[in-house]
Amino acid sequence: MPGPLTYIIWFVGILCEAAVVVCALKKGAFRRYFLLNLYMVGLIVVELVRYRVLSQYGQSSTQYAYFYYYSDALLTICLYFALCTLYSHVFSEMKAERYVKMGALLLLVGTAVFSGAVVRQSSGKMLSHFVFELSQNLYFVGVVLTYVLWAAILKLRETRTRLIQLVLSLGIYFSLLAANYAIRNLYPQVGTMVAPLAQLVGTFLPLAWAYAFWRLPEEARLAPARLAVIPR
Amino acid sequence: MSRKLVVVFLAMLVLVGAMGLKTVVTTHGDGSTIMANGASPVPITPYKNGASPVPITPYKNGASPVPITPY
Repeated sequence: MPGPLTYIIWFVGILCEAAVVVCALKKGAFRRYFLLNLYMVGLIVVELVRYRVLSQYGQSSTQYAYFYYYSDALLTICLYFALCTLYSHVFSEMKAERYVKMGALLLLVGTAVFSGAVVRQSSGKMLSHFVFELSQNLYFVGVVLTYVLWAAILKLRETRTRLIQLVLSLGIYFSLLAANYAIRNLYPQVGTMVAPLAQLVGTFLPLAWAYAFWRLPEEARLAPARLAVIPR
Repeated sequence: MSRKLVVVFLAMLVLVGAMGLKTVVTTHGDGSTIMANGASPVPITPYKNGASPVPITPYKNGASPVPITPY
């Protein structure tokens, strides 16, 4: 069974996820960022069921492993669509929503086909391996898409503060996870020390999104440097 | 070039980039996972070398039980 620190971080994470939904509802942003909030609601439900499965069967049980990886694949797909809605928001003035939807669907199908092709050779439990592979591949697609969206925000000189905060926090979150993974593999001897860090990173995204919904109004704009008044 | 073709091209470009990034990141990895959803603890897997599934062997040495794999 996990230690008390693991449980504490875990429940802080669930509280942060609940805070995102509450803040979005309170500030009237739930429908505007519907898929982001749907992802958070799904995450809360999954986390609670994970706790139930973990406490009933244990961390090394197949029940927990199956539920963890299958639910993670569903959540990753949900996060992928949430990321696509951020694209829709950024490109809303270009009337490119149709193309964003088409590209998102095409990329999802492409990733699924690629994952299926990779696991095709495995003899048994193909579905489980496919789910795991799809989840991992979609994670990397999400990383690349987030960086592309960062670049688009810079290029288009996007000024909507809340939208920028949502995208930047997603980018930092993905980057922290990748950095944690790299440290674990480069320095296996510190692997046990950085394991709680991965959990802490899990609480970063809901915390940053809750802040974005609570403190940054939808009308808030960043003043681009080139428009700032410079006193002479 | 039509816009639809541009969308198809960009989607494929992102897919290729993502799979390339994955290859670079996981080449020297221990097969552990990068999980992006929530703060719940990752299940303990019975083995650590590579992410590929354990092959089904046609023979058995001894009477010890087969390890339980997560997939």
